[in-house]
Amino acid sequence: MNLSLIDLKKSMEREGYISEDDLAVTVYLALTLQKPLLVEGAPGVGKTEIAKVLGRVFDTEVIRLQCYEGLDENKALYEWNYQKQLLKIQIMKDACDRDDIEKDLFDEEYLLERPLLKAIRTEKTVVLLIDEVDKVDEPFEAFLFELLSDFQVSIPELGTLTARKIPIVVLTSNGDRDLSDGLKRRCVYLYIDYPDIEKEVRILQIKVPEAGERLRREVAAAVNFIRANLDLRKQPSIAESIDWARALMALDAEFLGADSISRTVNTLLKNRDDRMQLMNGNVLHQLMHKLNSTGLEEGDRDCPGCKHGHEGHKK
Amino acid sequence: MTVPAVSTDMKAIKNKTRGVFNLEIDHMTGIVAEVEGSGIDTLEYNVTRFVHVLRHLGVRVSLAETMDAMAALARVDLLSRGQFRGALRSCLAKSNREAGIFNQAFDLFFTTPEEKLKRQRLRREMREEREKLISGAQQDLMGVMEDWQEELPEKIILTDMQLETYSLLPEEEKERMKEILERMKANPVNNPGELINRVLQSSLNYWRYYMMKNLNEKEGPRIAPEAELTGDEEMDEVIQGVAAELYHTPGDRIMHQDMESLADGDLPRVTAIINHISSQLALGMSRRYKRSSRPVAVDIRRTVRRNIKYGGIPLELKFRSRRKKRPNFLLICDVSASMARYARFVLQFIYGLGSAVKEIESFIFSENLERITPFFRQNKNFTGSMTEIVNSSKQWGKSTNLYQSLKSFKQLYGDKVNRETIVFVVSDTKTIAPVEAARQLENLRRKCGELIWLNTLPLSEWEKQPQIGAFRKTAAMYPCNTLSQLEKAVRRHVLGRV
Repeated sequence: MNLSLIDLKKSMEREGYISEDDLAVTVYLALTLQKPLLVEGAPGVGKTEIAKVLGRVFDTEVIRLQCYEGLDENKALYEWNYQKQLLKIQIMKDACDRDDIEKDLFDEEYLLERPLLKAIRTEKTVVLLIDEVDKVDEPFEAFLFELLSDFQVSIPELGTLTARKIPIVVLTSNGDRDLSDGLKRRCVYLYIDYPDIEKEVRILQIKVPEAGERLRREVAAAVNFIRANLDLRKQPSIAESIDWARALMALDAEFLGADSISRTVNTLLKNRDDRMQLMNGNVLHQLMHKLNSTGLEEGDRDCPGCKHGHEGHKK
Repeated sequence: MTVPAVSTDMKAIKNKTRGVFNLEIDHMTGIVAEVEGSGIDTLEYNVTRFVHVLRHLGVRVSLAETMDAMAALARVDLLSRGQFRGALRSCLAKSNREAGIFNQAFDLFFTTPEEKLKRQRLRREMREEREKLISGAQQDLMGVMEDWQEELPEKIILTDMQLETYSLLPEEEKERMKEILERMKANPVNNPGELINRVLQSSLNYWRYYMMKNLNEKEGPRIAPEAELTGDEEMDEVIQGVAAELYHTPGDRIMHQDMESLADGDLPRVTAIINHISSQLALGMSRRYKRSSRPVAVDIRRTVRRNIKYGGIPLELKFRSRRKKRPNFLLICDVSASMARYARFVLQFIYGLGSAVKEIESFIFSENLERITPFFRQNKNFTGSMTEIVNSSKQWGKSTNLYQSLKSFKQLYGDKVNRETIVFVVSDTKTIAPVEAARQLENLRRKCGELIWLNTLPLSEWEKQPQIGAFRKTAAMYPCNTLSQLEKAVRRHVLGRV
């Protein structure tokens, strides 16, 4: 890893990931200390994206282990090709000595590599993404310790396999359950919060360049208002605000109004109660007021519940 | 960090090294060596002290993490406060909550020498002010008793905290207390010292509790539950500073404030928070039932049938899948005078999990037991059901007899418990006949799947209550006087089980 902190930040931005100094410092430390990076945060704030971006920055493969309850070593690390072994036994049962067959059966030829094993056996440094690690059972979490601290795994029939090149490991968690102290201790920790307005505007600028400056600002300000003021079942993620901006663009909207919001709100809020909360006349009126008071032009914005004319928003 | 002048020891070291290694040490290297030699004000020393502060604020930092932090500092620009902070935080704080504590502690700990001096001065002034108050209170109280018996004033033992409480009382209360003492002069008793001690101490303890409660209601809890002081003035100041500010956002405050002291004005927000947490937990629980296809053992019958086409060679294995049943919840909630408020919040919380469990049976008790499940089956909202329960219940706000209540439960509703049932007892353990109650509890434990006691008494007071030991032998007991603790207990125990 020959990148400096500034270079890393610029490279990530070049690959479309806007990062504050804090985030860049933590990623930089994980890389230089060669420790796994544990990223926590609400869904849709860009945790998984960090691994993908690092893959692009270092021009290397991203090996992904998607976690779920019940995930075990066979699916994460390795599995013996059982069917192939059985066939081998059938073919060789009369021809060979029993010990020879047994020795032969646990050769690497019969080993099915799963993501973890693949990551430590590649000749090039890869990015290993262990996604949603909070979904796995506790015993599996403990099983990861050896890999995360020593970058090695033990296979009873083959012994200990050490990483040929230490992979860049990124673990993500939505905080469904608390991770063990042992796992956290082995990692450099990063918490990603929802972005502020300025950062979200920059993200929209990169992801939805076709949207005009005004629409980008209004979408970012509106999403920020919704996250801060509404008690929703699910807060809108960055991905959803991008989708929202794209949906507005598809309808040729140049700014936000009650009508354009009501036609596109499905892309932003995925729960009926949440949508009803936003579309409540009073909330919508407050949102319009907020958009105008933050210095955004009023234009021909339509606003239900505004009985004192559009100028009223500016008061 | 302040740089000390080079001492004569340094000159000796210089001479010695020059003689042995023939090396010349420049002035700056000498200063650094001396400071490092003394171990004070070095980077390592300050980081270690900072880690100590974090640990006292409830952030678990291991030695390995401290070493990682030092290694991280070697890789960033130490003159950049942002990078310095980021490097420490990524190695020492391992959750969002810990990052919040870290940020506050960092700002208070790593500050300029001028700021430190200013705080030291302020601290000294506050200490002097407190000493003045305590000594004034002592003089005031002793003044009443000096013409009583010669040796009596020496027998009056009040702690500094009690004297401080006295000094903060309204003037009319002070006068009233002194009047009581004067009146006691007129009724001589055998051991006046002990009597006065008892009267004064209990009255001042009550006042302290009352004043703290009022303060909590107005401004939220003053000290974070985990905050423990170190005895080192400088570090304690940071710890107290962080603890005082820690739970001051409305949501955090509600989560960490004693449920009993939540103000009425907070109730809508409390309700919203409880609904939100319980629906999240219920979602987590029901997801687990759906994802219960983890293979546990080979299903021989299905494997043989599947592999007939391969001549009986088991090329394709079939597994039995794990089946999980939804548990039943059974709540036994103490609604005696000290418990009524907790009971309301816990009931609401547990009923929020309704979609993820098979059935919820609920009972309230104080002097005896009452079944309240039917109230929640009338399709009313939670508040409506609770109002109806409070209005019709004979148990609300009375004294506690867990023994009698469990006995009634066994006689009338014993058939409602089986091995699929998770029983929650919600109580502060203060009951009459605790030994008999513990025996009844043991009987209940034998019949149910799990027995969980949500204890609303703060953890720090558990040691003082001997009955708790007896109950803990039978039930898994969790502290539960804040919403945060309630959530943690349910998440850890129930979500971990299903």
